[in-house]
Amino acid sequence: MAGRHPMDSSSRRWSRRQFLTRAAGGAIAVPSMAAVLAACDKPGTTPPSGNGTDTGEIPLARPDSPVELPLNGDAIATDTPIEEGATLQVYNWDAYMYKKVLQAFEDEYGVSIEWTTFNNMEEGIQKVVSGQVQPDVFFPTTDYISRLVQGAESGPLIQPLNHELIPNLQANVWPSFSDPGPFYDRGARYTVPYTIYTTGVAYRRDRISDADAEAQGYEMLWNPEHTGEIAYYDSYRDALGMALIRNGGTDPNTGDPAEITAAKDAILEIVNELEGSLRINGTYAKLPEGEFTVSQAWSGDIVGAKYYLPKGTSEDVLGFWYPEGERGLIANDTIAIPQGAKNPRLAHEFLNFFLDEKWGYTNFADWNGYQPPFTSIVPASLIDDKVVAPTLNRAVVTEEMFTTALIQSQLTPEVDKLWLDAWSAIQAGG
Amino acid sequence: MASAETTAEPTRRRKDGADEAAGRGGAWFPGWYWPSFALPGTLWLLVLFVLPFYTVLSVAFGTVEPLFRSPLPVYQPWWWSFDTFSETMQKFYAGDAVYQQPLIRTFAYVILASSICLVLGYAVAYYTARHAGRYRVLILVALVSPFWISYLMRIYAWQSLLASDGYVNDIWSIFAAPTNWLSGRPVTVILGLVYGYIPFMILPLFGSLDRINQSMLEAGRDLGASPARTFWRVTLPLSKPAILAGLVIVSLPMFGDYYTNDLLGTQRTSMLGNLIANSVFQSGQGPEAGSLTVVLMVIVVVPMLYYLRETKRAAESL
Repeated sequence: MAGRHPMDSSSRRWSRRQFLTRAAGGAIAVPSMAAVLAACDKPGTTPPSGNGTDTGEIPLARPDSPVELPLNGDAIATDTPIEEGATLQVYNWDAYMYKKVLQAFEDEYGVSIEWTTFNNMEEGIQKVVSGQVQPDVFFPTTDYISRLVQGAESGPLIQPLNHELIPNLQANVWPSFSDPGPFYDRGARYTVPYTIYTTGVAYRRDRISDADAEAQGYEMLWNPEHTGEIAYYDSYRDALGMALIRNGGTDPNTGDPAEITAAKDAILEIVNELEGSLRINGTYAKLPEGEFTVSQAWSGDIVGAKYYLPKGTSEDVLGFWYPEGERGLIANDTIAIPQGAKNPRLAHEFLNFFLDEKWGYTNFADWNGYQPPFTSIVPASLIDDKVVAPTLNRAVVTEEMFTTALIQSQLTPEVDKLWLDAWSAIQAGG
Repeated sequence: MASAETTAEPTRRRKDGADEAAGRGGAWFPGWYWPSFALPGTLWLLVLFVLPFYTVLSVAFGTVEPLFRSPLPVYQPWWWSFDTFSETMQKFYAGDAVYQQPLIRTFAYVILASSICLVLGYAVAYYTARHAGRYRVLILVALVSPFWISYLMRIYAWQSLLASDGYVNDIWSIFAAPTNWLSGRPVTVILGLVYGYIPFMILPLFGSLDRINQSMLEAGRDLGASPARTFWRVTLPLSKPAILAGLVIVSLPMFGDYYTNDLLGTQRTSMLGNLIANSVFQSGQGPEAGSLTVVLMVIVVVPMLYYLRETKRAAESL
């Protein structure tokens, strides 16, 4: 690879969820002028009406009870002309897309892309809701889709897609994500999938043998032998979710206070007794650098971790454990087009572009580490093509895994509060 | 300190001016002239403090948007709800009292770190003011120079120094088993606070010690006091206002500090500021973040009032 790899810089923060909150200014959205003006009524008492489109109560989507989201308007017409010379506003996690692919898109359509990032989903959602950011393309997690369809007081927040303008969805994407479509958005009316990933345990193979990893599984993260060398994500759903499963739970969306408390205590054990660290960059940056021996890991993070290995360290030191069968977590991220998009036609092209076999693959293999759900990707060939190291073979995601693995999805406000309270207690250090 | 004087001043001037205009001539200023000098400061205070703080109150006593749970501030006090506030308060003492430990930690760390700042800072300021001779400018520049580099950069440097395979451990391991400094050790966080805030202690102390009239000290020695006694009876009392000022300047921001622990500690050493930062970034926790801010505000008002009372007393006794 001649020249500098674009990822090879300290400013590269390309993880799926950037929780570098410390550098951020503040996330309580400064109340928008609209909110101030709307303050004539007591806030929070007027139900979201959604521009006169009554979407009603949408039931919580679960893998075993998929939801077909009601249409909150019309998709753009197929003959809408592509906005020429436009600036496409993309709102995404930091560095979650390969610059070269974005460049290729700009060149092909003669447009420019303006890239705005958020540090975590809550920040992204708040800024879209308040209108501080008005993107053409947005990357919501699946648990927010139905809420975005219903919208805030100002109306729905994402618009229905015109599938005729996104032929790559039917052509290239796993049927489970295109037809019939995913459980959170049957028929892919509003979203297309972006990446798929599992949540497992990453470990240093030079310190833990594969056999030990296999024998211990999740317990690697709670093994006192690794005191001071354990990293865990600081995202509340992912963190508590894995602790729930490790404790023997089978519902990663549980509302059982006892289970949530036990999960909280398990994470506090990592923080206090095992001197672990809750952070975003444990897997993709600090494990390859050697600071940690074991870490909670999104599969995409560990696949991309090779770019952080110190010079002279073999890729073989990276290992990834993910349970066989039904005790693993799996998820996907999505791309959607907000209602207020100024370039909706170009946005459709953008979605289609990233579902293109070649460009989607380049984005994944040369930069991102997060796999797209393409029928063309043969799991075994990823290892032969050196996209995924042989020692990380469990980080490869297959379509079948989505039928057996556990998926975290939207919670009711009451249950969400239990999770957040548990998370507050963890942040307080107990 | 001087605030009592400055507010008294315009009235007196205005009276003089009025007298002059009425009788002996000279410059006359309209009644609004001198008070108008306070306008920029008042505006500053209104826009950058009163208004934001009112917004914080409105968030704390407000509600959340039902679907996305983003904070919805309530600006009308008659609609304020104190449910979240009292719920947050209960986390300090009722049930599991999950917030009690961070509160205790905050006080312990701030008191310890401020004390260390005072002892170290006093020594440095004393030496610079009295014994540094021609090097004093150099020392002062050296004290201020870290500010040329952003605090974040300096703490990142400490992160790598304190890492398990860092230089600090290289030296430390000569004497003891290597330690994982960044895994939530109170000592790391306290020293981090000292490191971050000590210049703010040294500078006012230096200013005060430098201004002590040499003849006072000579008088003390002339009257038979030992050097130690002179220091104790003359220098120290004379520098008391600066000590108080330094303590206030360093301890108030320490109470709200969250990034030092964020970068050098873990949840094991989390302070009140971390709780606020965390709830700000979680969905639906906006009112809780506001409530915690109000708690912090009340906490820092106490030392502030003590400081104001003491300086007022000192000003009167002069």
